[in-house]
Amino acid sequence: MDEEARVPEPAGAEPGGSLSVLALADARLPGGGHAHSGGLEEAVHRGVVGNADQLREFLRGRLHGAGSQAAAFAAAAAHAGERGAGKDYWSRWDYELDARTPSPAQRAASRAQGRGTARAGRAAWPCAALEELLAATGSPHHPAVVGVLIGARSLGTPKDAAAVVAYLAVSGPASAAVRLLGLDPFAANAAVAAFERDTERIARRAASTAGSRPEDLPAAGAPALDLLAQAHQRHHEEEVRLFAS
Amino acid sequence: MVAGGTGREVRSRARLVVERDERGDSVVRELRSQAPLTLVPRRPRTGTSRQAVVHLVGSASSPLGGDDLALHVSVAPGARLSLRGIAAALALPGHGPGASRGSIRIEVADGGIVEYLPEPTVVTERADHRAELSVRLEEHARVRCRETLVLGRSGEPPGRLRTDLELERGGRRLLRNGLDIGDPSLGASHGYLGGARVLATESVVWDRDPEAPVSAREWTLMPLAAGGSLITVLAGDTITAGRCLERARAAHPAGAEFSEQ
Repeated sequence: MDEEARVPEPAGAEPGGSLSVLALADARLPGGGHAHSGGLEEAVHRGVVGNADQLREFLRGRLHGAGSQAAAFAAAAAHAGERGAGKDYWSRWDYELDARTPSPAQRAASRAQGRGTARAGRAAWPCAALEELLAATGSPHHPAVVGVLIGARSLGTPKDAAAVVAYLAVSGPASAAVRLLGLDPFAANAAVAAFERDTERIARRAASTAGSRPEDLPAAGAPALDLLAQAHQRHHEEEVRLFAS
Repeated sequence: MVAGGTGREVRSRARLVVERDERGDSVVRELRSQAPLTLVPRRPRTGTSRQAVVHLVGSASSPLGGDDLALHVSVAPGARLSLRGIAAALALPGHGPGASRGSIRIEVADGGIVEYLPEPTVVTERADHRAELSVRLEEHARVRCRETLVLGRSGEPPGRLRTDLELERGGRRLLRNGLDIGDPSLGASHGYLGGARVLATESVVWDRDPEAPVSAREWTLMPLAAGGSLITVLAGDTITAGRCLERARAAHPAGAEFSEQ
């Protein structure tokens, strides 16, 4: 009997583990994520993050504030992508995430990574829903692109989309810490892995609100991150910085 | 009243309506106080009053756990209101179970202006409080809302606080901000609250916005995506926070039109 035939076809999206979900969370996805430190470069510049313990503390705030908000929006985008939501939904989604992101630097960083991921997505997972999103928003936010690809192409569940975005909220700054501080890469990786349970909880919670109207999605601010992002933008214009945000 | 409470929890509803009279003065048309929310209008010093000034008094011992305080403010076309605090509010552990809740709703008609400038709220160690502020503006209304949170009394970590701010103009949402305070490891995180003792914000929707963000180490003035702006300050004490707010306001193109305080 043919080897292939014995592997049952997956019945639609199964949680976690699909190759495409892993690829969307991979730092090597050519979406431009490597150019962003998520506020970490400014924190290093200020001397408030200088070792693995301080990195872990920084990541905790990043995950529970900005990360959980982005995760909720990614889950909603996956849910909408699955159901073929139209332009009206995507502009409302976009509008609501903007209203929850007071920092212009963070809005710009999210859209820059969204654009990059959309380019990668067009080549790897082309779909009408991605085109709808691009037509509605021009330059979509990163969680919208991750969500729409996962949902519309049935690559995974809304919870998977949330987990990808939550993971990237900490893995990006962690690898930036290795480059900025010469931090032990094993320690940086361990700092990320320590958030296994937190990320799981955040992704579950995000999945539980995935069907909400964009107007009703949760809001989670992080004032210190806003200050870092804005200061980074100012310094980036004045002097040489390694990362775009 | 919260079910199973001691019966001492307070449910208070206060209301304030400001209009512009035929002479162009802003006058208080309706004022309903309910303890512990007491509204005291300040008598105009001269014959005219382009802006009505009302003080929010008597909330020094509130909110307490289980309390539910609501204030509804409505400002008619062309009227101007300055709503100010008198003393810092303490969010304390309650006489009843459950979180205390303070909710303020502000509606401003075209040409109207509201400046809501309460004194700081001190989130004491065993507090469990929820603060909601919802502002609805007509297309040509203006508003400035301040919030100053002191995270615990001296030498004390803060209790639990959830704040929600919603700002709409002409039916479009400009800002939706939510923040959870009280988890010590998050409070210390530079990716969240940065270990600050005082968080101060001012949301401003005027007839013009800053063209670009302006920031320093402890404060930032950020133009919002759909109009309006938000000032965020993280500081070690209220005096420094006040000074930072002042600097950020000075960077706003309409800063000179704001009431002094």
